[in-house]
Amino acid sequence: MTTIANRETKHESNTTDSLGTLLKGEEGIIHAVPEMGLLASLGLRRGKKVRLVSKTPAHGPLVLSVDERSVAIDRTLAERIIVRR
Amino acid sequence: MSSHCGTRKRRYRRGKKFRGGIHGTVLLMGLPNVGKSAIFSRFTGLDVMVSNYFGTTVEFYEGPMRLGEKNYLLKDAPGIYNLEEPSDDAERVAAKMLDEEPDAVVFVLDALNFESSLHLLLQVLEKNIPTVVALNRSDLMRPRGIAIDHGLLQRRLGVNVLPTVALRGNSLDVVKYALENAIGTKTEYDVPGPNKRWNLVEQLTSDAFRREPKKERSDKHGFLVKPWPGIPIALAVLALVFSFVIGFGMGLRQFVLLPFFRGFLFVHIENAVEALFTSEVLKNILIGEDYGFLIKGIEWPFALVLPYVISFYAAMSLLEDVGYLPRLAVLLDGLFKKVGLNGSSIIPLLLGYGCGIPAIMATRSLPSKKQRLSVATMVCFAVPCVAQTGVFIALVAAQSIPAFLVIFAISILALVIIGVILDKVNKQQAPPTLFELPELLWPKPKLLWKKISFRIRHYLKDGAVPMVIAVAFVAVFYELGALQALGRAAAPLVSGWLHLPEEAATSLVLGIVRRELTLVVLEPMGLSTVQFFTASLVALFYVPCIAMIATLAKEFSIRTAVVILVLTTVTALFLGGLFAQMAALITA
Repeated sequence: MTTIANRETKHESNTTDSLGTLLKGEEGIIHAVPEMGLLASLGLRRGKKVRLVSKTPAHGPLVLSVDERSVAIDRTLAERIIVRR
Repeated sequence: MSSHCGTRKRRYRRGKKFRGGIHGTVLLMGLPNVGKSAIFSRFTGLDVMVSNYFGTTVEFYEGPMRLGEKNYLLKDAPGIYNLEEPSDDAERVAAKMLDEEPDAVVFVLDALNFESSLHLLLQVLEKNIPTVVALNRSDLMRPRGIAIDHGLLQRRLGVNVLPTVALRGNSLDVVKYALENAIGTKTEYDVPGPNKRWNLVEQLTSDAFRREPKKERSDKHGFLVKPWPGIPIALAVLALVFSFVIGFGMGLRQFVLLPFFRGFLFVHIENAVEALFTSEVLKNILIGEDYGFLIKGIEWPFALVLPYVISFYAAMSLLEDVGYLPRLAVLLDGLFKKVGLNGSSIIPLLLGYGCGIPAIMATRSLPSKKQRLSVATMVCFAVPCVAQTGVFIALVAAQSIPAFLVIFAISILALVIIGVILDKVNKQQAPPTLFELPELLWPKPKLLWKKISFRIRHYLKDGAVPMVIAVAFVAVFYELGALQALGRAAAPLVSGWLHLPEEAATSLVLGIVRRELTLVVLEPMGLSTVQFFTASLVALFYVPCIAMIATLAKEFSIRTAVVILVLTTVTALFLGGLFAQMAALITA
């Protein structure tokens, strides 16, 4: 359904990884994001700085901080977002 | 959908306040949680209706708004992020409302969610409908170190941009004035097509939006969604809400309402009835010991249930207004996913502790049919409404507090079991969670009061009145001996299986009308604690009231309503009887 955009621009492979690998409190710059209208509208766009606020219990969603907003995102979805540390 | 609007217009035209009729429609649009509702309630009076488009589950408010000499129908479109390729009902409804070409649009641009708001605004402006932009929450800009050059936006986009603070009603008259002038003008906004939208958003943001380096981290409330201390806090919040609802409700009943009713009102009613009537039958119906209509018909709805309605909705409205519920939903999401539900299911479930009807309606916001059905079934089976809880507290807890706590523990256990069973029936997984956590806000007392009083009025109209009527029926049938006859007919079930007195058959009949009546009519019968526990168990699982059944039939299908009706009845009678039989074995 959705593809990871800009996959060809994924260089510096030692520093890019999925959003799901961020540690609590760690920041990253979004490098590639699946093309979903809602992700873009929630501020999850290429070039945005995100911080992982929390990993909720029982393998629940991740809570991110983007542009002063808090966004809850499923881990499966977070794994498809690539960030640069 | 012109017919839809037509009927509304006619309805308002008949109203006294709107003699001039409705001249057209104005649409209120914006992102979710940006103060749209606050603007809506400032612009319209009390004469507001809840509507929904045929075939969709999304509700929206509409109400008349005065602009100069004319009345317009203001429609509060559901809060959305995107208009193109709508992915859910809310977006479809909002897109449809815009396609109906309203006379004007009030767009709420959120100062704190600038980019996303702007992106949606561009999509709206592409329709070239006269638009006025309310740059809302402008009061929060300075404390956050945000500055927005609204003049620049105005020049670039050719649209009126006015800073507002909807929660306080600041400068909303200016918006109305701008609207009045905008209506009827021919507009062509200078906006690019879909491909350049984010580019323009980013360009406008870099030109018109300034944010000072932050003084404090934006996720200062992040601790609420961390396992530690988020989970202990969630438990504490729920415990606090629970004890407030019970404590405040009890206090109101014991120290305010009962002294007033029993010490004052009923004395006068009894004296008046004694003086006016001589017929013993009539006196019994009106002020009899057991089901005197003027006594129980007033005491039950207003002194027994009302205090808990007040305390429940005070607590629930506060939680909603502060913005804590989405955080609870995030914390619980992982657990709920285990049974194929999203964490947001917690909101209809909690609402169910108030009343099942809004709870079933609230399932509309859940993402799949399976989730809607699961949560609605849970509410019907094992979530007691506030009226029922009030009776549990007043009657069961008064006899035995452990019995009361056990009933509640059973209800929570039942929720889990039902969730697991329904997930086995339909294995469909919950869609991935993705939503924004709204800012935590201090509650605004005025708006909070408006919400609470709206819900209390709703109870008085749709809850208390049917209860008074039901008590009237009981009073008459009891006096005529009809209930006693019914009791004899149902004796094998009621006294044989459930070990309750024969008259308790009444409670099974009345429980269909309203859930709390199952227990409340047992009050005069002097039951033992074991009998009360049996009755409570039956009452907990027993038939959702008639109004809930009707709501189920409307929201799902008649078949669903019948299946739930049968299953709840069978479960209630089976479990109640099982307990009664076991208790008899142990005590024998």
